[in-house]
Amino acid sequence: MKKVITGNHAVSYGALLARSQVIAAYPITPQTQIVELLSEFCASGKLNAKFIKVESEHSAMTACIAASATGARTFTATSSHGLALMHEMLHWAAAARLPVVLANVNRAMGPGWSVWTDQNDSLSQRDLGWIQLYCESNQEVLDTTIQAFKIAEKVLLPVMVVLDAFVLSHTSEPVDIPEQTLVDKFLPPYDLKTKLDLSAAKSYGALTNPDHYFEIRYKIQKAHDEALHVIKDVDNDFYEHFGRKYGVVEAYRCEDAKVIVVTSGTISGTTRGVIDEMREQGRKVGMLKQKLLRPTPVDELRSILYKAQKIAVIDRNLSFGHSGIFAQEIKSTLYGLAGAPPIYDYVIGLGGRDVTPDDIREIIDNTFKAESPRDTIIWRGVRL
Amino acid sequence: MRFTVPEKELMFPGHVACPGCGGALAMRFALKALGEKTMVVLPACCWTIIDGPFPMHSLQVPVLHTAFETAAIAAAGVKAGLDIQGKNDITVMAWAGDGGTLDIGIQALSGAAERNDDIIYTCYDNEAYMNTGIQRSSATPKGAWTTTTPEKTPKSEPKKNIMEIMNAHRIPYCATATLAYPEDLINKFKKAQSIRGTKFIHIFAPCPTGWKMAPDLMIKICRLAVETNIFPIYECENGLNYSINIKPKNQIPVVDYLKPQGRFRHLIQKDIEQIQKSVDFEWELLQYRASRDFTKSKNIQSQAKK
Amino acid sequence: MKWLEKYKVQVPILEKESDYPNWAISMTTTLLNHTGTWRIFRPIYLNKIPPCNNECPTNEKIQSYMDLVKQDKLLEAYKLILEDNPFPSITGRVCYHPCETECNRKDYDESIGIHCVERFIGDWGLKKVPFAKPATKRKVSIAIIGSGPAGMASAYYLALNGFNVTIFEKKAKLGGMLRYGIPAYRLPKKVLDNEFKKLITLGVKFRTSSLVGKDITLDNLRKNFDFVIIGHGAHKNRPMVIPNEEASGVFSGLDFLSQINSGKRPKIGKKVAIIGGGNTAIDAARSCLRLGSIPTILYRRTRAEMPAVSDEIDAAEAEGIKIEFLVAPVKITVTKKGKLTGIELIKMKLGRPDASGRRRPVPVEKSNFTLKFDSIISAIGEQVDLSILSADITKTEWGVKADFIGRTNIQNIFAIGDCVTGPKTVVEAFGAGKRTALQIMGNADKIQHKVERPVQYSELNLDYFEHTQKVPPPQMPVAVRKKNFKEVHTGYSNVNAKNESERCFSCGVCNKCDNCFVVCPDLSVLKDTGEYEFDYDYCKGCGVCAHECPRYAITMIEESKAEVE
Repeated sequence: MKKVITGNHAVSYGALLARSQVIAAYPITPQTQIVELLSEFCASGKLNAKFIKVESEHSAMTACIAASATGARTFTATSSHGLALMHEMLHWAAAARLPVVLANVNRAMGPGWSVWTDQNDSLSQRDLGWIQLYCESNQEVLDTTIQAFKIAEKVLLPVMVVLDAFVLSHTSEPVDIPEQTLVDKFLPPYDLKTKLDLSAAKSYGALTNPDHYFEIRYKIQKAHDEALHVIKDVDNDFYEHFGRKYGVVEAYRCEDAKVIVVTSGTISGTTRGVIDEMREQGRKVGMLKQKLLRPTPVDELRSILYKAQKIAVIDRNLSFGHSGIFAQEIKSTLYGLAGAPPIYDYVIGLGGRDVTPDDIREIIDNTFKAESPRDTIIWRGVRL
Repeated sequence: MRFTVPEKELMFPGHVACPGCGGALAMRFALKALGEKTMVVLPACCWTIIDGPFPMHSLQVPVLHTAFETAAIAAAGVKAGLDIQGKNDITVMAWAGDGGTLDIGIQALSGAAERNDDIIYTCYDNEAYMNTGIQRSSATPKGAWTTTTPEKTPKSEPKKNIMEIMNAHRIPYCATATLAYPEDLINKFKKAQSIRGTKFIHIFAPCPTGWKMAPDLMIKICRLAVETNIFPIYECENGLNYSINIKPKNQIPVVDYLKPQGRFRHLIQKDIEQIQKSVDFEWELLQYRASRDFTKSKNIQSQAKK
Repeated sequence: MKWLEKYKVQVPILEKESDYPNWAISMTTTLLNHTGTWRIFRPIYLNKIPPCNNECPTNEKIQSYMDLVKQDKLLEAYKLILEDNPFPSITGRVCYHPCETECNRKDYDESIGIHCVERFIGDWGLKKVPFAKPATKRKVSIAIIGSGPAGMASAYYLALNGFNVTIFEKKAKLGGMLRYGIPAYRLPKKVLDNEFKKLITLGVKFRTSSLVGKDITLDNLRKNFDFVIIGHGAHKNRPMVIPNEEASGVFSGLDFLSQINSGKRPKIGKKVAIIGGGNTAIDAARSCLRLGSIPTILYRRTRAEMPAVSDEIDAAEAEGIKIEFLVAPVKITVTKKGKLTGIELIKMKLGRPDASGRRRPVPVEKSNFTLKFDSIISAIGEQVDLSILSADITKTEWGVKADFIGRTNIQNIFAIGDCVTGPKTVVEAFGAGKRTALQIMGNADKIQHKVERPVQYSELNLDYFEHTQKVPPPQMPVAVRKKNFKEVHTGYSNVNAKNESERCFSCGVCNKCDNCFVVCPDLSVLKDTGEYEFDYDYCKGCGVCAHECPRYAITMIEESKAEVE
């Protein structure tokens, strides 16, 4: 069934169709619509879930962790400061290996207060053990939300579905909402083997001495290794059920590209148009949309990017004192490959400033022109 | 007089509480009351350690460890997860220290209480951050020494009244208890178990290590706390109906309670008199509260039930 | 059963990746963790001597039978008493109960009414429990001189253990001081007769009206018996050594009581003076009252120094008997014809303490005065008749020389009771009798000695006791009782006895109150065998159990010393 809905509501539909059992959330712009609609679903009986209207995001994540530990399917959504407040418990969810699914609407961090998009909130949570999936369209948001549960439950890692504030969250697009029966087939109920259980009477998450802590952390990394395969399998499986797939990365017109632009989120959509236009002009340019940030899809990134002469990474984020974060990721992924192309890091659109096709064109042009990326950061649009 | 407590143990020895730990005994009693169909949520507190390091576990019921400030919501989360899966007959108990309750955990606790989440929340109160090495908390009584309130500047603020805070939420049941009165404590857990909604139990649980006290005085000091009115044993239903459960037989001066504890060693006569005054005041206030009979006001009672 | 016997504990193997859980999910219990190694002090269950037992001249296990009464185990309680005292119906009535004087509960509210409980059990046993039969006969013969309490107790234990016992009694009936000295309102003859049935059932032979020294000689007994036990008491009246002591109308206390106890009613007139402050004086005075006279006790010191049992003095005063303190007789006044008219007294004051520790009475010069009486009973003490003893037996100032066990200077001759100590009490005589019996039976190791330090009041944890009133010993109203010789005290009911026994602190002796089990934070008090034991694998030695033991039955000892043991 096609429906014109916002990105936020696409998340809500995804959580509904996944039959989330426990939802805990706290209002924050621009995420609020997600939980508003979920509240409606719960109220109307469309969704049989316990919705805990918590007093903070920290509690939202805690509630999800705790409910998840009992074997329930759990969901929450947040943004920016909410995600930052969750930070401690984001660690907990990952290290407790609980398949919590979280939708984060990318919003800039204060101060000054900003409700507009950039990626610093989710990227600040990069190193905790969460799987992070960045979405380009409302359809992808819905599909990824459903996939996220399956991935999480297979590898026992929490999954963060990321979408841009307003550009996606509040923008309506036609979305194909799958049939519940089909979703149920794709995503059956799951049984957490190690759930809290009276018959086992175990403790979960106790003090762990240096004797054992390291080994258990090692296993988290192993789970991420496995996740790389699982995410692809799930995507393929999804394709078989619904006819849509996204890949961990998407190489768009990269075949003979001299310059490949690395994007994430809605900038991918903007870039896609510019690439088409430039290709028509005969320019050899392509786009790599990085959907999966963690675990890092090293093989895919390398095999695609290695062929280019130059790489332009568009970062709507910044690790202060260093550079754009996606650029760092790409650099470290390609490091050590003989003849790897130079990487141009474009930091752009912080705090929700528009990223226009002109910006993308300029970035591509500049990348073609520049001999080498002399500066670590190439600022786009700073009016200084 | 003879104690009668349920025989069944739901705890193992070998736990690593200090000798004479009130918190350890409190858990033993609580589980005796609640029985096997119980799950426990432990935030950071002494019990994080007492339960035993991985791969060991000292309770015979499941325990979910969680972050410091999250006991109430983690318990609510466990309850929600169980309920949605049709496991409605399991008691979920959050078990937190005074720091985890009165300080860092009060937000989540207040949230759970406001939603009336169906959990038992127990605060075992040893009146300081003991696990981290005896730092003052808002439960530390005025005048007490801790490592962050040295003898020259002992704690200058009175203990936060968590019971009144919880009563103000009008949750169905709040109670205090302590270890010298095991039957009272056990009955309160049983009562809490029989009530739906948020139940708050505040246990006075001595820490001989942190109170600089001989460990064998653990029970005695509980009794003295009650008999001096330092820690009255009472309960309150729906935030309105107070009853004092243990009425001290003799009026024992607070000095009898303070004296065996090294943390009060530096107090001078004037300090002790001041403590006595404030204890007398609080006791009178409590008695006044307990003397009010809201059952006579049908209006109030029906409002309370809502 | 110890935890490690109940649960098998294995250390989980954590080597391979697959051995590890996904996160810190427990795989075993803290039973792996032997916290007993932390211990510096260890608790041990160590029963101690309660002051009641310690003070009891027969070493009755008082707190133990209190516990049994509490549990309605009357038969066990009765049997337990008989192990130490064969005649609880007697001591339950006439004992001066030092157990109650020392009872720790007196410092809390009131001492336990031990003698009343003892009497209840004794009477219950006499009614309900068949008398014991002797063990296999042994070919050892014992002669006991005197059928008073000392002899009775010896006879009981020896006969019970198969010894061939013969008692020689100078009087026509058995019981010595119990029968002839103690008035029936304190010890009804029927009770005494019933208790004697125990000895009869045990096959003890009685030779009444046999005065040793006259009807049969001590030498003779020595020849014909393997052992001789002298227990003929102290029945000789001590003279006042004042003029006219021989006048008619002057009685000796013991003679007077003996006559009454033999059913006679001596003519004493209306106003009677009783000289002395001991039990004989009180008994004589109260007997006079019951004969319709008006007795006055004249005592040379004050109430505090009176050797009589305090309860008896109280009872006498309650019955309206007047006691004049600080007066001493100077002479009996008589008419020219020798008829008694009264007594001349001198006032006394208390001087420095004498050998007994009591302040010595000193006459106040020129304070003489005279009181009129119809008769006078002299009860200033009794002495031992040493004439029956052969010369080779060593004597003391007041009696036969014998040690704590009754041994004299001559092998196989023992001496027990008042004839050794001078006039003392029934229970002390029972104790002496028992000790000598144990010695002869070859069970000297079972002879108990007083400990220096029984359980002190300060060693108890009183938090576990409610203040309660002693069940007052039921007694007949004064108006009724002072008119006859019927027993004054009517005794506890079963309910009374139970209520009273529940007040017992059980000082120093575990009575399974469960406190140690309940208060242990380390689950290291085990009780599934029916007995408490510590699980030293886990006990950290915090000492809470010892502190909360209401009765000091747990002791903390240094771990290093415990290991040596």
